[in-house]
Amino acid sequence: MAAAAEPAPHSSLPGLGDRRLVSRVATFRKGLASQTEVVIALVLRETRTRFGRNRLGYLWALIEPIVITFTFYGVLVLAGRGHPPAGMSLFAFIATGVLPYTLFSNTIMRVADAINSNKALLYYPQVRPIELVISRAALEAATFIAVFVLMMSAEALISQRLELEDPLLVIGGLLAASALGTGLGLVFCALGQVSTLADRVRGPLMRPLFWISGIFFTVGSLPDNAREAVLWNPMMHVTELVRAGWFPGHDANYFDLGYVLWWIGGLTLVGLILERWVRRRIDLT
Amino acid sequence: MLELRHVTKIYQTSSGPNVVLRDVSLTLPARESIGVVGKNGAGKSTLLRIVSHAEAPTAGEVIHHGRVSWPIGFAGGFNGSLTGEENCRFVARIYQQDIEYVIEQTREFADIGRYFYEPIRTYSSGMRARVAFGLSMAIDFDLYLVDEVTAVGDKTFRKKCRDAFAARRERAGLLMVSHDVATLAEYCKRCLVLHDGGATLYDSLEEATEAYEAREAA
Repeated sequence: MAAAAEPAPHSSLPGLGDRRLVSRVATFRKGLASQTEVVIALVLRETRTRFGRNRLGYLWALIEPIVITFTFYGVLVLAGRGHPPAGMSLFAFIATGVLPYTLFSNTIMRVADAINSNKALLYYPQVRPIELVISRAALEAATFIAVFVLMMSAEALISQRLELEDPLLVIGGLLAASALGTGLGLVFCALGQVSTLADRVRGPLMRPLFWISGIFFTVGSLPDNAREAVLWNPMMHVTELVRAGWFPGHDANYFDLGYVLWWIGGLTLVGLILERWVRRRIDLT
Repeated sequence: MLELRHVTKIYQTSSGPNVVLRDVSLTLPARESIGVVGKNGAGKSTLLRIVSHAEAPTAGEVIHHGRVSWPIGFAGGFNGSLTGEENCRFVARIYQQDIEYVIEQTREFADIGRYFYEPIRTYSSGMRARVAFGLSMAIDFDLYLVDEVTAVGDKTFRKKCRDAFAARRERAGLLMVSHDVATLAEYCKRCLVLHDGGATLYDSLEEATEAYEAREAA
């Protein structure tokens, strides 16, 4: 039906091709605008359901990462292992490791569960899995960036010292952690629609990553062979990236932004393909 | 106009594939109210979900021109921990409607008093139906998909639903699932009977119920 409505390709009307292109661009922009609207509505809704309707409720979202950071900090101080690389404060060292990693792992968790915990919303045709995924990832990223800024400003105020080499690298690192988490979460989310195995293997797969992502060490402090091994892990690059952006003296030779981008692109592509593949199998009942 | 072309829907279950719709092709005219009947599991709700594009068919395609509502029913769509008002706000936002207008219209139609500002999980099924139907009427659709909700509630509410829909009859069509023939009779002339994966359209409700009952008996 739609095909019959299309004008003949050899139409003699001048400028018709241009007009059609213009209308296509307009349709695309309209689609993008309504998609943005849906994502905003989902984010607002998610903040309501997760943190309650009290405006202060959102503070809870900020508290979780703060507690995690202080816990690690406290444990390291008490264990007498609080010796960060020269030129770094222990607190900043821990925070630049813990926060990107927690953003990464929380995003995976939230995105992997995006469809199963929001099936009721898929009744609305403009809400598709991809909007659920984007809104959850965006909320997580915004929260962690806010926490990061908050904690690092507090630290700078208390220590009366602001060491910041390159804010772009810091933000870039946090966004990369978010994007890696979104890509991997999307893969788990799609696989979760066809098998419950996906959920079960996620934990055991993720746990080792926690120890090899440089939360407690820098690549520079490792022996050569260990260095090579941990640099397979894109999250290790992200941690180095954030620290290179934060600490003026940090040796910035160990991260490869291109390598991280390949991972992000690859995971997102695989995730989107899997999502298309399982889309017809999502069971709303 | 709504057109289904070779629509098949198969659910994977632990006991093997379950074919709910098998190669269904149908053309339904625009702005007409059509009932949908069938046994439990015959695919009535599935049909509505596929027509609304909430769920994709396993094979085939659904074509329609104009705006189709979500399947208006008890299941799906609402979040129990949000209030009626908050749920309306969300739906108004994703349909890019005037938020305050939609909330006001729904509140008035639902007429559930302060419950409108309480979490939906505290609602009775009748209250849910009131909010669901009121909300869908606050948004202009060309085709409304209604799953059972109008069959509940008291006389006044049922009359209110009928009046609200009558006001839209000129502009909008209706696809209504119900087990209750009396409800269908209030809204629809023609009727779709779903059976064994197939669908047959009958010109009158009597013919449809006759055919349906004959199948039941067989």
